[in-house]
Amino acid sequence: MTRQESVPVNAGSDYAVEMRNISKSFGDVKANEDVHLAVRKGSIHCLIGENGAGKSTLMSILYGIIQPDAGEIYVNGRRCVIRNPREANALGIGMVHQHFQLVDSFTVAENVVFGKEPRKGWLTDRRKAAEITRKLSEEYGLKVDPAAKIADLPVGIRQRVELLKALHKGSDILILDEPTAVLTPQETKELFATLRNLVAGGKTVILITHKMEEVMSVSDRVTVLRRGKTVGTMERSECDEHKLSLMMVGRQVEAHLPKPEMPQGKAVLEVSGVKVGGAQGTLSVRGVSFTVREGEIVTIAGVEGNGQSELVEALTGLRPVLEGRVSVGGRDVTNQSPAAIRRAGLAHVPSDRIAMGLSVGQSLEENAVAGHHRMRPFRRGWLMNHREIRKFTESLIGQFDVRCGGSSVAAGTLSGGNMQKLVIAREMSYGARFLLASLPTRGIDIGASELVHKHLIEARNAGTGILVVSTDLDEVFRISDRILVMYNGEVVGEFRADATTREELGLYMIGARRQQEAIAGGEAI
Amino acid sequence: MTAPASAQPSAPVMRLLRRLYGLATSRESVSVLVSVLLTLVVGGVLVVINGDNPFVVYRSLFVHAFGSMQNLTNTLAAATPLIFTGLAVGISFRAGVWNIGAEGQLYLGAMGGAIVGVYLTNLWAPMHIALSLAVAMVCGGLWAWIMGFLKTKWNVDEVVTTMMGNYIAIHFTSYLANYPLKPPKAPIGSTDYVQESAQLPQFVPYSTLNAGFVIAIATAVVYWIFYRYTTTGYQMRTVGYNRLFARYAGMPSGRMILWAMFGSGALAGLAGCVEVLGVQYRFVQDMSPNYGFDGILVALLAMNSGPGIVLVAILFGALRSGGLGVERMTNVPSELSIVLTSVLILLVSSRYALVKLFRKERGTRA
Repeated sequence: MTRQESVPVNAGSDYAVEMRNISKSFGDVKANEDVHLAVRKGSIHCLIGENGAGKSTLMSILYGIIQPDAGEIYVNGRRCVIRNPREANALGIGMVHQHFQLVDSFTVAENVVFGKEPRKGWLTDRRKAAEITRKLSEEYGLKVDPAAKIADLPVGIRQRVELLKALHKGSDILILDEPTAVLTPQETKELFATLRNLVAGGKTVILITHKMEEVMSVSDRVTVLRRGKTVGTMERSECDEHKLSLMMVGRQVEAHLPKPEMPQGKAVLEVSGVKVGGAQGTLSVRGVSFTVREGEIVTIAGVEGNGQSELVEALTGLRPVLEGRVSVGGRDVTNQSPAAIRRAGLAHVPSDRIAMGLSVGQSLEENAVAGHHRMRPFRRGWLMNHREIRKFTESLIGQFDVRCGGSSVAAGTLSGGNMQKLVIAREMSYGARFLLASLPTRGIDIGASELVHKHLIEARNAGTGILVVSTDLDEVFRISDRILVMYNGEVVGEFRADATTREELGLYMIGARRQQEAIAGGEAI
Repeated sequence: MTAPASAQPSAPVMRLLRRLYGLATSRESVSVLVSVLLTLVVGGVLVVINGDNPFVVYRSLFVHAFGSMQNLTNTLAAATPLIFTGLAVGISFRAGVWNIGAEGQLYLGAMGGAIVGVYLTNLWAPMHIALSLAVAMVCGGLWAWIMGFLKTKWNVDEVVTTMMGNYIAIHFTSYLANYPLKPPKAPIGSTDYVQESAQLPQFVPYSTLNAGFVIAIATAVVYWIFYRYTTTGYQMRTVGYNRLFARYAGMPSGRMILWAMFGSGALAGLAGCVEVLGVQYRFVQDMSPNYGFDGILVALLAMNSGPGIVLVAILFGALRSGGLGVERMTNVPSELSIVLTSVLILLVSSRYALVKLFRKERGTRA
């Protein structure tokens, strides 16, 4: 580990934040070990690293959510102990969490002033709140309608509200935890422009991310963490994507994954004319037909919220199919129970690993055996065979490099990427002929994504038919044989992965183009 | 960094020791222990205010709960129905359903068991007892099952239905005991006495401790094995932790909830039946001093663990029987035990805050 900063204690004025020798352990896991971070005033500083590298822990320490075991924090050159978020706010530190903390039924203005309201007697002065919001919004170029209800706003706007909220509290140092995870490319561009603006106005921004392109496009400086330690800090001009990814994962990422041609196999999933309901009697999926065959990876690309998640739920038995037919492995499973569809040959990696993919309060063993638990060797008559379950879990942990404190710890103690590895490990272990993976690499780092992709392709080469829902075009091109684009509840285009471009897909994704008579039955290729 | 090698011959023993150590030092256990100690302090202060020496009172409480064979058997007898109702409630809580209706299910079980005990004659005693217990379980179980059915079918909140079900069950059995089944000349609403062949044998003279206690312990063992080792227990537990996950993984979550409710009601019914066959020898209206509701407290304090429920039930039983002794020997009223119980529940419910207070600023996530 190299120690990048060796500034004497009082030269702090250059740095808005300096964290030195920060260490923090959770049980046996060292989340942060002797970490250094120095953020120059008026700059955008990216904190990059794999999941579980300790980025969030470090920022939680800076924001006072958790206390370090050792180390010192300097804010604007002054040594501070930050015991809770309120003290962080008082020091001018604000945080925009990955999961927004807004009140849905309140207006934008009410949310912005929440916790520091202008008062009129005992009540909140709503007019003044709106005024404050408008002023802040103009000052920083964050366009919002102060009177709109949060519930009616898209995520991009909600994020602006979070930023305004932090600014209203007088934050000069803004921490953003993976702010682009929920944004469209367009919204991301706007966000970055805003951040540039803020920095030009004297604010300091710390951006947690694991996306290389963001580092390259927006940061001034970068600090890389790996496995709880600082790998190094660099000016953006000194680094390139190649060097950064090497620092992050400790080795080089393969750009292309070899995919041998596969003979056309039997259909494992046939969807015809499926319609699925959405909120308030609307249709989320409006008549979709396609086929997935053995030995191919079909990807559904599209901007989030175009019916993909409803389609996935309908295919897996978690939401009723209103019209049409679904068959898995040649068996009609329309509106059957999740258990019956699994018996027909489905394995499913859901997009929300915490709500659905895992039971975070139970042990890794109990999570790994779910779905297998009625099969040999994991049961002996009425009883569970704990020894076999442990062996099985340990083998999954080994194969998928799940970093954890042993097979008996609660799944909730894992970091996001390791949770996802566990889910994928379990779903792969069924040996199912059809695998449905929804946003399989969302919120996980390069190393873990690479591993996931490698396993998906291995499964494809072994003859599994795979359907992936993805919003990440890098991923789409990396793994697909065929690509379907979903827009507004319909499949608007179908492509061979080697016969299309990002630009072409982009046009279909935003609804600017659609193929005539799009893909009846999915037999086109 | 993690998991020492487990290949040594003593590995299972080491694992057991580590687990026990972990259990003893876990946040849960420490917090419960702190709560118990604080409860004693609070109770002590009240005793001092009342003008007594808390040490004398506590000593007397202890002696009257455990001091002699007689006292010990009284304590265990008082604990018996609470073990049943605690387990009953624990089953449903583990499966993520909130059966608040153990009280009513207890009455139905008591009535069902009493009817079998009174009106079937000429049976071999073990057979008679077993039949009586089985009918009691079916009565209590079916009643709870109905609430489970409403929940899985139409998503009707089981807290409300089981709560309301209590009144229906209690008043229905009370009607039976006051009208159709009431023997002539009986002073209060009750059934006739059960046949001798249906009575549970007693162990110690002058004590109500009977074979019901053994049945309670056996039930607790089954409960423990069920949730720890059986596949169905695992499915039920998983449904309790995360119903969506259970459904996604292909577990029959609806069926698990129905079974959990049935089992819960069945054990509550057993509590009532054992009270009839072993203590009262007949169904009597208002026979339960809130055993069903106390079962909720027992399960909560024990965090639904089988052995924990037995221990907490015995603690409650000790407070109850010891409290009576204290009243006889000092001028502290037996309500002291109610006060202690209530304070304990209050403290345990807020135990996380307590532990935080004690480990201030250390911020460890044990």
